[in-house]
Amino acid sequence: MQIGLPTNDFSWIINLAFFAFILIFSLYGAKIQMWQWLKQIEAGLIELKRMMLESRQTAIDTFKIYGRTEKDVASEIDRWLDYFTIMPVDLDPAGILKRLDHLLDNRRDRFQEFVSELAPDATEIQVQSLENTLEVSQVLDLIFRIVRHFYILGKKTGSQIMIMQIQMQMPDLLRIAKAYFDAIAAFSDGKPIGDGIGPLVITKFAREQGATPDTYVHEISREVGYYPVEFEERTVLALRATGPGGTVGKPGFAVKKLVEENKGKIARIITVDAALKLEGEELGRVSEGTGAAIGDPGPEKHAIEQAATENGIGIEAIVIKEDEAAAIGVIPKQVIDSLPEVIERIKTAILKRTKPGDKIILAGIGNTIGIGL
Amino acid sequence: MGWMSRILGVIMAGSGGVLLIFGMDPTTGIFSYVYFFLGLLMMSMGFALITGGRQQQREQKPPPPTVTEIRCDNRECTFKEIRDFEKGDYILKPVDVPCPKCGGRMTVEGIYIVREEPEQTITI
Repeated sequence: MQIGLPTNDFSWIINLAFFAFILIFSLYGAKIQMWQWLKQIEAGLIELKRMMLESRQTAIDTFKIYGRTEKDVASEIDRWLDYFTIMPVDLDPAGILKRLDHLLDNRRDRFQEFVSELAPDATEIQVQSLENTLEVSQVLDLIFRIVRHFYILGKKTGSQIMIMQIQMQMPDLLRIAKAYFDAIAAFSDGKPIGDGIGPLVITKFAREQGATPDTYVHEISREVGYYPVEFEERTVLALRATGPGGTVGKPGFAVKKLVEENKGKIARIITVDAALKLEGEELGRVSEGTGAAIGDPGPEKHAIEQAATENGIGIEAIVIKEDEAAAIGVIPKQVIDSLPEVIERIKTAILKRTKPGDKIILAGIGNTIGIGL
Repeated sequence: MGWMSRILGVIMAGSGGVLLIFGMDPTTGIFSYVYFFLGLLMMSMGFALITGGRQQQREQKPPPPTVTEIRCDNRECTFKEIRDFEKGDYILKPVDVPCPKCGGRMTVEGIYIVREEPEQTITI
């Protein structure tokens, strides 16, 4: 390069070019980068829109076989896709869980009513799975609409920070959306999902002890029941949501009810659930700890914790590690293969920390889609 | 970003590179600075066109098939059948067909996918 050339008549051109270059990039460098970010967001949005539209179509195809025309189903689903729930006011936190529980019950009722009307020929089990299908479509629609909102707003206002945030979050949003998108086929076909490992463990354990679908006590709380089984001179109340329809029920309130019904007799509460694994951890790894393993918005977990605290009952959790794709998609073999280890840990916990004659609540938390009693 | 803009990006980046090298040539004379910066500008614009927008779609593998595992209820019988999932199957569903080995009852013991875990590149 000719750096250090002697000055001459044309040196002003060189200086001008140099300063123009510096000026352009210092003034418009950010604009060029914003343009690149916007293009990347746009590409992500196209992908999100594709997933949203395909999941909507899957939902329509799934619903239309239960008695209504495709046109009816499509218009009703479009009306329902942006159904919302307003969270209770938290400025006065007293009684917030009760209010939240009430709202969630209302939401569930509206969902069931909507699905029953849209699929009049569906059985109760099919209605539950259809609800899940609709929920997945709703999630994908919501992700698309939120990202599009910030994309348009960022473009309108030229807000660099808004655009930058979405561009940076886009890979994670796409990963979550992809997990939901892959899961919709599982829900529409009624296949078991990774989140259902909790109820599956319960039934396998109960069956080992001689329980059958006939010994299952139904509806101790909404869509939840239990198998009373005997294990090593102890009574285990093995509790789970009623399948094989897609429901999680209200297991927290079921635990509370069982504690109240067996006042002073429950020695331990053991919860079994799927938990999100950290990157690097192996799929289907079994971990245990203290507390209630239940991933609800609050009321269910609170019910378990309160029942345990008020009655001085030991509470422990066994979790099976999964990623998002496994938790909401078809259950992978690695997760099924963890069953013997989970059951072994349950047995160890019961034998070590309870004594003959005690009653134990064993609660399997999760979605029971595709898992029979 | 379509193929056209990518091709344009490659051409611009290439031309920019040529200009840049040309600008570094001591024989170019007084305009070497101009060629050099123009080359840099064209290269950066070219690369922006190549990398901007949608990343090239990687060929996506179809999801692994869901299989149904049926086992004989008789603990002494080792019969096991794995077949494709059929709508209506659920785990612990009693199967109508008797076990072909011992004639006992059979149950759906598992419905799952066999997911290939990506090879760990980080070995920590």
